[in-house]
Amino acid sequence: MKKQIRLRVNGMDRTVEVAPRTSLLEAVRDQLGLTGAKLGCDMQVCGACTLLLDGKPVSACSFLAVDADGSELTTIEGLAAGDRLHPLQEAFMDCGALQCGYCTSGFILTAKALLDEQPRPSEEQIKDYLGGNFCRCGCYQEIIQAVKKVAGI
Amino acid sequence: MNDFEYLEPATVAEACAMLKRYGGEARPYAGGAYLSIVMKQGLIRPKALVNIKKIQELKGIRFDPSEGFVIGALATHRELETSQLIREKLPILCAVEREVANIRVRNVGTVGGNLASGEPLTDLAQVFLALDARVAISGPSGDRTIPLEELFVDLYQTSLGEEEILTRVIVPPPPPATGIEYIRFSSSSVVDKPCVGVAVRISLNADRKTCGTVRIALGCVAPRPMRAQGAEALLTGHPLSPQLVEQAAAAAAEECSPISDLRGSERFKRGIVRVLVRRAMAVAYDRASHASTLRLRSGQAGSA
Ligand SMILES: Cc1cc2nc3c(=O)[nH]c(=O)nc-3n(C[C@H](O)[C@H](O)[C@H](O)COP(=O)(O)OP(=O)(O)OC[C@H]3O[C@@H](n4cnc5c(N)ncnc54)[C@H](O)[C@@H]3O)c2cc1C
Repeated sequence: MKKQIRLRVNGMDRTVEVAPRTSLLEAVRDQLGLTGAKLGCDMQVCGACTLLLDGKPVSACSFLAVDADGSELTTIEGLAAGDRLHPLQEAFMDCGALQCGYCTSGFILTAKALLDEQPRPSEEQIKDYLGGNFCRCGCYQEIIQAVKKVAGI
Repeated sequence: MNDFEYLEPATVAEACAMLKRYGGEARPYAGGAYLSIVMKQGLIRPKALVNIKKIQELKGIRFDPSEGFVIGALATHRELETSQLIREKLPILCAVEREVANIRVRNVGTVGGNLASGEPLTDLAQVFLALDARVAISGPSGDRTIPLEELFVDLYQTSLGEEEILTRVIVPPPPPATGIEYIRFSSSSVVDKPCVGVAVRISLNADRKTCGTVRIALGCVAPRPMRAQGAEALLTGHPLSPQLVEQAAAAAAEECSPISDLRGSERFKRGIVRVLVRRAMAVAYDRASHASTLRLRSGQAGSA
């Protein structure tokens, strides 16, 4: 049986109808048309599907949409202010922190959550926090550089 | 994933009643970090998921003078990792949590789910076993509290009844002059599940030299988290000596029953157990001795 859930997505109130087994990723991509988050490993390992639920990174591939009812959701589409990119998005471009781009939305959202929690993390803390996001093109050095740039360290 | 009913009880009693109504065909659902995977793979196909996340009485981490440290089943890995109380009084738990999975799993996965899944490749059970933790369980026929050891039965099997809810983990305050260490070894990436996990706790006798209570808990090297009781017995009543450490480490490596898999062969894992027991024991003993002097100076409780 389908259930109506209410989400605040990137600052806008949205209502979606989902079956209990629908994942948050399916709801966001297929019903809200926000396709920045990608399906990768489908088992919470790679981080390509990362979304911020009430500000915290979660694997949307393995999170039931019904369980997100009433929550605030941030997707990569919600980061830019109009035409002005988020500082992390700018830094990722400046540092060449992406090649194919499949993992990028997950990395940027995770980095945003880190900087919201801790505006000036150490390099060690950046590596720890982002350690669960995989980039198969291997841009790790550039990604860390980009986050350090925004953190001003 | 199969279709299922989705239920949201507000109390433990309601949750147990719902589970009972489905007669074993429903599952409690906490963070879903484990359930989502096994359901997607079709390994289990419950008729209903009983989401316990709205149950207030299962939340929070606190100190209760009569029970000790009480960790609600719904406390997430991340809550434990960042808890001020735990950081001050049981810092070993924060240290373990920093190494569990990745930030996303730590944000959703709960302590209750971690233990109740009976998953073999996990970390928390070892540390809780070393601390003599107990778990409180509620069901249609009442409440019970059991030593954590009695929760684990076999791979993915616990002694929880189908209509029961694990409500909290209770950690008694460690005695003075206690030291504990946990070492987690992963054979591929650090964000992989552990290959071997070893916790050692030593509480010194009043002479502050000889071992009083010793706990050696091993994870990932048997169908369930286990204590190496033969190894523990070798140390009890004795001061730590290099020979004794070596004997106990060898005994622990004998007592476990690892399987060969992609994370290492049986022989390799026994070797790792031996090394980790040795290392963890040295650190735990050092901390125990240090805790005793600290206590003498400032009257603080033994730091674990
Ligand atoms: C990618 C990945 C990496 C991981 N790495 C680690 C690691 O390094 N170390 C580690 O220790 N663990 C690790 N885990 C395991 C993870 O910690 C657990 O899966 C998680 O804690 C489960 O909690 P949950 O709340 O999500 O449980 P759920 O998925 O909601 O439930 C798990 C099981 O327990 C039952 N259950 C849940 N809560 C209760 C309750 N209160 N009473 C009775 N039954 C209950 C459910 O019915 C289900 O059978 C990893 C998991 C993943 C996906």
